Amino acid sequence: MKTVQEPRPAGQGIRQSMSDLHTWVGLLLGWVLYAMFLTGTVAYFKDELSQWMRPELAHQTELPDQAVVAQRIADELGTVAPGSPQWSMRLPDGRNNSVYAFWRTATGTPGQRGFGEANFDPATGQKVTARDTLGGDFFYRFHFQFHYMPVIWGRWIAGVAAMFMLVAIVSGVITHKKIFVDFFTFRWGKGQRSWLDAHNAVSVFGLPFHFMITYTGLVTLMALYMPWGEQAAFKTPAERQQLNAELSAFIQPGKPSGQAAPLASVEAMVRQAQERWGRDNVGRVTATHPGDAAARVAVARGEAGRVSMSPQYLEFEGTTGRLLAVHEGVGAAAETRGVLYALHLGRFSDSVTRWLYFLVSLAGTAMVGTGLVMWIVKRRQKLPDPERPHVGFHIVERLNIVTIAGLSVAMTGFLWANRLLPQDLVARANWEIHVFFIVWLLTLAHAVLRPAKKAWVEQLWAATALLALLPILNAVTTQRPLWHSLVEGDWVFAGTDLMCWVLAGLHAALAIRTARHRPKLRSTRKPSREPVTTSATLRKGEA
Amino acid sequence: MSHPLSFMLCLAGFTALAFAMDRQQHDLIGRSLPASVTRALRIAGACALLLALGVLVAWQGWGLGLVMFSGHTSLTAGIVHVTLIGSARVYARASKH
Repeated sequence: MKTVQEPRPAGQGIRQSMSDLHTWVGLLLGWVLYAMFLTGTVAYFKDELSQWMRPELAHQTELPDQAVVAQRIADELGTVAPGSPQWSMRLPDGRNNSVYAFWRTATGTPGQRGFGEANFDPATGQKVTARDTLGGDFFYRFHFQFHYMPVIWGRWIAGVAAMFMLVAIVSGVITHKKIFVDFFTFRWGKGQRSWLDAHNAVSVFGLPFHFMITYTGLVTLMALYMPWGEQAAFKTPAERQQLNAELSAFIQPGKPSGQAAPLASVEAMVRQAQERWGRDNVGRVTATHPGDAAARVAVARGEAGRVSMSPQYLEFEGTTGRLLAVHEGVGAAAETRGVLYALHLGRFSDSVTRWLYFLVSLAGTAMVGTGLVMWIVKRRQKLPDPERPHVGFHIVERLNIVTIAGLSVAMTGFLWANRLLPQDLVARANWEIHVFFIVWLLTLAHAVLRPAKKAWVEQLWAATALLALLPILNAVTTQRPLWHSLVEGDWVFAGTDLMCWVLAGLHAALAIRTARHRPKLRSTRKPSREPVTTSATLRKGEA
Repeated sequence: MSHPLSFMLCLAGFTALAFAMDRQQHDLIGRSLPASVTRALRIAGACALLLALGVLVAWQGWGLGLVMFSGHTSLTAGIVHVTLIGSARVYARASKH
């Protein structure tokens, strides 16, 4: 029908081919993209989610002095990881109530580098005794490297999917053509037409974001996807080290002197950083060869309010605390990468901007979701026999259910596991993740066994129930129920609980609409078919 | 205060732009508005959006300002659209009875 309106055959050709490209590029990795989009969206609140998932760690009413905390944890790391060639800690800030630190282990078989990591209580300096969990970082990591596979494979899959997304966005814009004319257009109750309008709305309103997030997503891992330029340009270890210094504030450990010498006051070093960047704006403290005469300490600036991930840090001589260098700028190419990287992560955001990121990213999730559903809606009308669709239709339909409704069930299941698994379970953090995948597999089994529409409705109701009951589970299993959080002004807990109810409402609305939905099967456009048969099939479908 | 201010400006801007569109004029008022009014609405809408950008850039600089502006425009365009759909539904239901 569209083709009739198009006056020039040449234009028609490109638009049609772009439309086909859009359809198939969008479908082929659409399920992967949906999962990446949704977990990535949630990951904008990963620090808050991590706090919620470690309820033993008290609500942070005021920020501790970062300098004091840095000294406390540095002392503790001297005990926990003695002789470590390098440790690094992320100081507590407005979004983190614990200190996350990791270190290279001192001894080990030659050629093998071991790592240790832990969360520390800023007030006591001790390792936190909270339940073992990956917290919101699970969604964050899953978003670009998935699970149960080597990290590199996951990142390659994510990269290919992102490239597909980019192609889908560009071809989608070309296909759409009436972006401005149809800007506020929505035709209600028109089946495929309504789905297309909805798909266009969530895509067009968030278009700057969708394009930015896809492109910058590729940039974050560009060194993996396209290493050749770097390999050609930087050949010696010294050059590589210089490159690293442009990209991150992690100073690389050189050769230790072998002479023991205590580390100077870390507190004094962080104080200098605080004078430069503000009291609560120190991000990370890294030390190489602490306890050796050749020790170095880097104190890096926090991420807040700065649209760049390019490193800014002060470098100190470890034994004397003398300021060796101030790194506050990088070259133009490195800064370009730093800005694009920062745009993707959005860690510079104040809370309003973070919510904007979350909401527009949710629109991106809806863009992929509506696109997937539309593939089905469009083809259902053309099925010769809706009772027995062809294999491709069947597979896409089931995968849509598992990806869209099933993922909500699985992600909420992950949070349930966090509250329900026994505290002393071995490898507890891993079991939370196993539960996520077990639940997701169950939704797959369910979607295969049940009729499509019933599977949709039941899984959406399951997600609704799990989300709606989660704040109650939290109230029963922790000391921090919603009413308590509200009184305390603990917005991390109250916000998470309330958000569960908002999302439960959203899933309930989707469930009700899906349950009421009567697909319009083609009855007019195929005159050979008896109308009686069609309505009989319809009735059977409804029963 | 800059966040609520630019949010309101974007909301007003998109509302004006929506009323400047022919289809929406028919849906909401039942007829086309005079060309001069449509043009005025379009200019007013664009100015409101630019003003919102100005507020954010003056407050946070170009980097953060543009990011925030993009978020506010996406969100407010969505809100205006949902409101238009809602009012059209209410109108359709009312005219049926």
